[in-house]
Amino acid sequence: MNRARLLIWACLAPLVTGCVSATVDQMVFNSPTEGIGDASVVILGRRHASDYETEPDFIRCVGKHISSQDESIRIIDELEFVNTLYPWFEPRTAPLQAADLGRLLTHLPVAEKLAALQTRYMIWIDGSTVRNDAAGSMTCGISPGGAGCFGFGTWSNDADYEAVIWDFSNRAEVGRINASATGQSYMPAVVIPIPIIAPVQGTACDSIGDQLLEFLSQHY
Amino acid sequence: MSGLMTSGLERLPVVAVFALVMLLAGCGGKQVLVEGQFPAPVMNKLPLTIGIWYDDEFANHEFFDEAAGRAESSWRVSTGQAQVELWDTLLRGMFREVVYMRGKPGPGQMNPVTDAVLMLAVEELQYAIPAQTNVKVYEIWMRYRLDLVTTGGEPIANWTMPAYGKTPTAFMQSDEGAVNLAAVMALRDAGAHFATSFLRIPDVQQWLAGLPRKGDVL
Repeated sequence: MNRARLLIWACLAPLVTGCVSATVDQMVFNSPTEGIGDASVVILGRRHASDYETEPDFIRCVGKHISSQDESIRIIDELEFVNTLYPWFEPRTAPLQAADLGRLLTHLPVAEKLAALQTRYMIWIDGSTVRNDAAGSMTCGISPGGAGCFGFGTWSNDADYEAVIWDFSNRAEVGRINASATGQSYMPAVVIPIPIIAPVQGTACDSIGDQLLEFLSQHY
Repeated sequence: MSGLMTSGLERLPVVAVFALVMLLAGCGGKQVLVEGQFPAPVMNKLPLTIGIWYDDEFANHEFFDEAAGRAESSWRVSTGQAQVELWDTLLRGMFREVVYMRGKPGPGQMNPVTDAVLMLAVEELQYAIPAQTNVKVYEIWMRYRLDLVTTGGEPIANWTMPAYGKTPTAFMQSDEGAVNLAAVMALRDAGAHFATSFLRIPDVQQWLAGLPRKGDVL
């Protein structure tokens, strides 16, 4: 009896969550040797492409990942930062290169706001998670006796993100991280649909967050 | 068997109502009253007293798109209130003083004295939702017409300005919520565009250069 249960669980375990594979490339030029002290970090999403935009949820996820692993790192909320410095970080006006920061700081009120925030690093994340290769079919029905679905669906998700780190004090790019993840999700339905979702975006978030921690934190 | 039939019949009205609601939900149009918060711009104020005149069409601006077929919904997107909120906040942050006009600037119209009066109009508004395109973003595109005139209504500068906002599809977010967010992004873009380009408009530059003691704002 126990062997039978074990066998069933062994067969089902891989299905509970979909499989995800992730790849991370890192290129860092100047990492702080003793952490960032009292300074703060802002993580912003790139939103100037026409066919996609970096999800605000993903930016929040990376920020939470970093601050949960090292509480000494102060992460400024993206929306709060963009509102505080309106209109200089809107998709139309945001600096595209670290060298553009000099032009931005010629505006005295902007320089004062940034100084008040003690922003040492600005991290731009560009990318998105997309769904590809959906297959299968599912039929749902409703009758006086009840409702139910039958069928099977599967799809893959691909996440590709690049984080670029700018150092405010040097007005220069000091690091670049690329993380990609791909995973297959399934949804079998016998009366009730059972989603088995591959945490693709979450894996990409953890990958980028871990790499940024290595850059920013003195504990990693 | 008898029990099964009874319970099925008891549920019938509930199921029928549910099905009817689902059917009717597909028939109704979608309405969005654009609401958002617009921050004041962080910039040195121009030493000018600027007048604002919003005509009724602008202050109550709305966009209506009738459904092309049964599978689509008609849309009514009201941006007027949000437009006024945005431009009020923006202009107060850009200029030393902002004054509201009593009437449309023109010959014989009594209005407070200002350096110039800004009049705005939304010439065109377009939207796209994922159901209409293969791109998984909600988009709003607008084109403004801006007229800078004297209090007497004589033209100083006029130009058009595009604004664009988009937001990605989000889990558990309604079409209306996403269109509202895209509209707020478009309004923010309009503000950013105006704030960063106003001094680059050739006619505005020429006008400022001719103002006594104010040519140095350029």
